[in-house]
Amino acid sequence: MSTHADTHEHSHAPGLQHQFDNMQQQEESVSIGMWMFLVQEILFFGGLFTAYLVFRSRYPLAFAEASNHLDAFWGGLNTLVLIVSSLTMALTVFYAQRGNRNMQVIMILLTMFFGTVFLGVKVIEYTDKYNSALVPVHGLNKRIKESDAKHEGEPAKKEGAFVIPLIETRASAAAAADNHKVVPNPRGEFQWHYGQHVFDYAMEKEKSGKPYLTEAERIGYFSNGAFDPDKYRDKIRIFYFIYFVMTGLHALHMIVGLAIMAWLLWMAFRGTFSAEYYAPVEMSGLYWHFVDIVWIFLFPLLYLLGRHFLH
Amino acid sequence: MNSEATTGNGADGTPRVSYIGNGSTLRSWLLTKDHKRIALMYLISVSVFFMMGGLYAAAIRLELLTPASDLLETATYNKVFTQHGVLMIFFFLIPSIPAILGNFLLPLMIGAKDLALPRINLLSLYIYWLGGALTLIGLMQGGVDTGWTFYTPYSTTFSNSYVMLVGLGIFINGFSSILTGLNFIVTIHTMRAPGMTWFRMPLFVWAHYATSLVMILGTPVVAITVLLLAIERAAHVGIFDPAIGGDPILFQHLFWFYSHPAVYIMILPGMGVISELISNFSRKKIFGYEFIAFSSIAIAVFGFLVWGHHMFVSGQSIYAGLVFSFLTMVVAVPSAIKMFNWTATMFKGSITFDTPMLYAMGFMGLFLIGGLTGLFLGSVGLTVHLTDTYFVVAHFHYVMVGGQVIAYLGGIHYWWPKMTGRMYSEFWGKISAMLVFIGFNLTFFPQFILGYLGMPRRYAAYPEELQVLNIFSTAGASVLGVGLVMPVVYLTMSLINGKKAEDNPWMHPGLEWRTSSPPPTENFDTPPVVTWEAYEFGEDSGLDIEGARRRHQESVVNA
Amino acid sequence: MSDNHNEGHIGYPGYIGVFAVLVVGTIFTYFSSFWDLDGMFFPGANTLLALLIAFTKMTFVILFFMHVYWNSKLIKLSAVASFFWLAIMFAYTMQDYLTRGSGVFGQ
Repeated sequence: MSTHADTHEHSHAPGLQHQFDNMQQQEESVSIGMWMFLVQEILFFGGLFTAYLVFRSRYPLAFAEASNHLDAFWGGLNTLVLIVSSLTMALTVFYAQRGNRNMQVIMILLTMFFGTVFLGVKVIEYTDKYNSALVPVHGLNKRIKESDAKHEGEPAKKEGAFVIPLIETRASAAAAADNHKVVPNPRGEFQWHYGQHVFDYAMEKEKSGKPYLTEAERIGYFSNGAFDPDKYRDKIRIFYFIYFVMTGLHALHMIVGLAIMAWLLWMAFRGTFSAEYYAPVEMSGLYWHFVDIVWIFLFPLLYLLGRHFLH
Repeated sequence: MNSEATTGNGADGTPRVSYIGNGSTLRSWLLTKDHKRIALMYLISVSVFFMMGGLYAAAIRLELLTPASDLLETATYNKVFTQHGVLMIFFFLIPSIPAILGNFLLPLMIGAKDLALPRINLLSLYIYWLGGALTLIGLMQGGVDTGWTFYTPYSTTFSNSYVMLVGLGIFINGFSSILTGLNFIVTIHTMRAPGMTWFRMPLFVWAHYATSLVMILGTPVVAITVLLLAIERAAHVGIFDPAIGGDPILFQHLFWFYSHPAVYIMILPGMGVISELISNFSRKKIFGYEFIAFSSIAIAVFGFLVWGHHMFVSGQSIYAGLVFSFLTMVVAVPSAIKMFNWTATMFKGSITFDTPMLYAMGFMGLFLIGGLTGLFLGSVGLTVHLTDTYFVVAHFHYVMVGGQVIAYLGGIHYWWPKMTGRMYSEFWGKISAMLVFIGFNLTFFPQFILGYLGMPRRYAAYPEELQVLNIFSTAGASVLGVGLVMPVVYLTMSLINGKKAEDNPWMHPGLEWRTSSPPPTENFDTPPVVTWEAYEFGEDSGLDIEGARRRHQESVVNA
Repeated sequence: MSDNHNEGHIGYPGYIGVFAVLVVGTIFTYFSSFWDLDGMFFPGANTLLALLIAFTKMTFVILFFMHVYWNSKLIKLSAVASFFWLAIMFAYTMQDYLTRGSGVFGQ
């Protein structure tokens, strides 16, 4: 008797669940369900974008300063990688609709390849942040003992950093020069030793009579009327916090996406999908494209701030 | 429950197996995809959380019996009221009507075999259990003392309690409510029976559609907020800490973007239940069907525009305060539309005073008071006096308990015969409904006065001249407690010795009453085709009108 | 879902075309960040331009890669609604932050 409901399950078309009358109803339900899921995902990331908006609008200079030390080349490359993976994903659906098993498998493999490349680049970037004391969490940066830091001036190559800027900004040049300088960091704290180029630039502008600092900045960067590098660093740390939470959550979504792709690959390999039944491919595609869209926004908002100030 | 295993004969004459009788192993319950079984499991779990939250409430009221902080230390008191809030809001009020009554009735009401995504439905129950378990572990470890709002920077920097575990529990539990809402929206869009047009749906379904919108659009924001809070607490980055450049008000914005609409998650389903009860027990087509339906949607939408009224004195800009205050007044309009329509429905109806109707009428009175005092708190000037006093406590208890809990109890009584196949004791039902109403008013009305006199919330001690009103409140709470425990007893008893329920004991026209009690696993023997309008009591409804008239006569004579 | 659901795509050349738009948009975004639009127009003009491009890219992805162009009104509505709700969250949060301590309503 416990299988009462189950006996209905596969009495109709293959893949039709018991609660539906026909395939069309099922596809429609699954499609609406997926879109509702995406809506909640958009608002999930939306909370972070709100946090970004609030802090960016209050401390634009610190955000520009911090952003200049993200490598826009890697960010841009990753954007392109994701776009290619989106294309291959769209083509997976295209071939699934045609019941072309071999091309489906190839396209899924390509999508997974580009997804993995994206994550690889993220690892390179995160490693660079780890080595440069830019992870905003106490103790999660590379620990450099006082004794190791004494070789100042020696050309110590910065590990994990492959700086290939297409156009070099003053900040990235300064960062390249800073590579020779090893700052002690025995406890692995967040540190900022790249100066305040953007702030100086803005103060220069202020001299011409045009107010350049926001009201929050007039309070937030100064102590007793003088510029306070520590308070400036705190704002920069908030940028890196938002950067890590946003890209971290995005990378988490990528990893989930890769798991879905692996499952899809197995299904496609077995020839599950046909012109009549390809909803799982389409739904996975929606998810993948959504993750791509998040990155389309993250790239300009995180990597490309204030680059014009400094080149 | 052997007697419920079969419920009469099906269309083909063979004995019909009800959803309860369809398998009795633990596995058949834990791995079920049947929305009705999942609803029953929700009923049990939610009741457990409700009783735990109730115990904390009892502790609060006992402590406040005397002006001094004598029963509980102040630190313990902080934990007690926090856990009362956390359990009641996240684990009782939010899932109460949607996950129990909504889960059970929504497919029945629209003539579907199940929810559109049954496995997702089961998943949401497991997520609820996981979130609940983590929260309970947090409570057993020592609990939280931040208040259910987890305001920063106290929760991130200073509190020494188990914020992380409880926060994680709430984060996980949020996805349970997202999945429930998602499932409802899909079901309402795609699973309606032939003839069940949008404007033939019961208003209960409309209310759940609006609730689901809030769940999908709001809950992810609180999830990310709690996540940020957890990272901030673990790593102390400073995003919410003003001492190192962060902004605690940002937390409040993000938190209330969800938590104010969540207030509507806690009242809209109740309004849906009340629409059913009022119309059916007045035996009259509901007045202004479209207005009630769209006012639900309007409340859901406007609910997202008013969150700043929780932050009038938090340092938010005065301009924002004015805008939020104005929009708060606007939300009163759709709520009032509902009240007027319910009243107009009862006008010249043939009303029977069965237990569910007593709850429904209690709801109208209590929600009216709760809603109107909300306007006091929504006006930006008066709030300065009333913020964080017992006036606020009384207001939201009038809406939450007087609204949602009363509606929930009314709904449970009304659909109890459908869910279990047994009638509850009408005598005890009426007594407990009266006790709940009297006890509730005695508990919370004095708190309006206390708040107006300036007694702040969240303190274990208070000045001696306020003791009389506090004694009233505690006395009322004990009456309320008795009124709330009674249903647990007599509803459970009804499973053993209750009268067997007919398929349609109330002679009501809804689709859920046109299948057996309790329904079979696939809900209907033959897929229903709807040819009548919602709340149709006339000749077109296909109801036994003579039988209904007779029953009404009898109930009037008995009364 | 519309009846021509199974035909809901723009074909191979169409996909390549959308892809080309996305790539061009990305490269343009990258290089536009070096122009001093903030100085030429108003602070934030650079980001505004980048966001406009991002919105265009997103629209192409949603309409053609995600097949919303061929989908039912409900799906279109839910896509629009989610961004509308984001806009609510942004707008009502910022109307607080942008009116703090200055102007007619400031302290």
